[in-house]
Amino acid sequence: MNKDVIVIGGGIIGCAIAYSLQKRGKSVVLLEKHNLVAGASGACDQGILLQSKAPNEHLLLGIRAMEMYKELGRELGRDLEFTQKGYMLLMESELECRVMDGIIEKQRALGLPVERISADEALRRQPGINREEIVGATWCPWDSEVNPYMTALAYADRAAELGCDIRTRTPVTGLVMEGGAVKGVVTPQETMYAETVIDACGVWAPEIGRMAGLEIPIRPRRGQVYITEAVPLFMRCNLLNARYIVAKHHPELLAGDHSLKAQLGVGFCMTQSGKGNVMFGATREFAGMDNRCTLDGLREVLAEATRLMPAVKELNVIRTMSGLRPYSPDSKPLIGFVDGVPGFFMAAGHEGDGVSLAPTTGKMVADLIIDGTTDVPAAASFNPNRFDLRPKAP
Amino acid sequence: MIREDEDKIYVCRCEEVTVGDVRRAIEAGADSIRDIKLRTHAGMGVCQGMTCRKNIERMLREKKIDPDACHTSQRFPVRMVQLGELARLVKEEQHE
Repeated sequence: MNKDVIVIGGGIIGCAIAYSLQKRGKSVVLLEKHNLVAGASGACDQGILLQSKAPNEHLLLGIRAMEMYKELGRELGRDLEFTQKGYMLLMESELECRVMDGIIEKQRALGLPVERISADEALRRQPGINREEIVGATWCPWDSEVNPYMTALAYADRAAELGCDIRTRTPVTGLVMEGGAVKGVVTPQETMYAETVIDACGVWAPEIGRMAGLEIPIRPRRGQVYITEAVPLFMRCNLLNARYIVAKHHPELLAGDHSLKAQLGVGFCMTQSGKGNVMFGATREFAGMDNRCTLDGLREVLAEATRLMPAVKELNVIRTMSGLRPYSPDSKPLIGFVDGVPGFFMAAGHEGDGVSLAPTTGKMVADLIIDGTTDVPAAASFNPNRFDLRPKAP
Repeated sequence: MIREDEDKIYVCRCEEVTVGDVRRAIEAGADSIRDIKLRTHAGMGVCQGMTCRKNIERMLREKKIDPDACHTSQRFPVRMVQLGELARLVKEEQHE
């Protein structure tokens, strides 16, 4: 079989890419080892968060993605449950407020309507928060939500309608290499050829990379969350604590903390789906490919959630969930052709930003493959060749 | 084709998913319990598939699809529990 592009990986990134390329006239086959959204895309929350973006071109990228989401449902012909309830970032110390004030000022200069609000105002916007634990909050009405599974499946279904060949339960067992270039892929059923092979496998991206002789620096970072029964409007906006954003700028804040909570990377986020289920979490742990929930992880997440948002105690939990985020060392995905391996294109490593950045990633990949250039903000910073992808000598 | 009465027969009572909904998901390409769950939300409610799972598995088998090829993870809790009660149990356990 001969195609223009082979996309490996049926998560939200692979599906967005397959759609974006097929839409622009390329012939595409998407190969998925299990079923669609089997990895991180099937175990994620619904947030499209702008406040967490660094106040530079990455924020402009986030804003672009949010704008694309506003139109995406119409484009794909399905209600993706896009809403804008906004996010509040809860701050627990004067230091956190000072750091966030600096970030907010720069974000505002770039056009993001984010503001600092008092603890009382935070409680007015979202009842149930523990007034004793917070000193203030930030608020951004542009932060949004979308149904992530629906989005990935809508991309895949629309791509298929346009002619994309989508094959689930089709693992790639090897790459066809000729003179150091990638020419196709091998599956248990057949060998397929294409000008470009895209590795969009999230936490499994290194497996495909090794087939091309590459060492892809993506690692699985586990997140554990709780999901409650559906209830009437409980979350008027979405919540997150500011600590992890602050710690990016002041690592010493967490460096001296050896508690179990810190070891498991427990942060606080809480959101409510369109159906009414409240989801909260989460851990950020390196535990290999083990995606089970753990007693320690669930205990610490529950303790953090009931500390910051005691009202959650009234709700009934129906399920816990755990997934593996594709972590990259500098928190940025790897998107682009790999130097020295013609025909091999990386598109993985979005960690917790896969849902947020799926529309811009799809567009960026199609632009780069078809036009050789793109107007997507921050694209250059995702160049995979910023890492040394050659295997280290033993 | 979906028969009219199939939209009146509920498979998943928690999420109000009908036989017709499941059949449409299979027609759209769903080939596992997990696919059905993601496309229709069957099994995502308070009983977490305890009621509907067997019936959906049977519907997949009728279409010659092996429902065991891609199952869903079994996760805590087995039955719905109030978070306040859970937090209290954790605290008691830690004080022992």
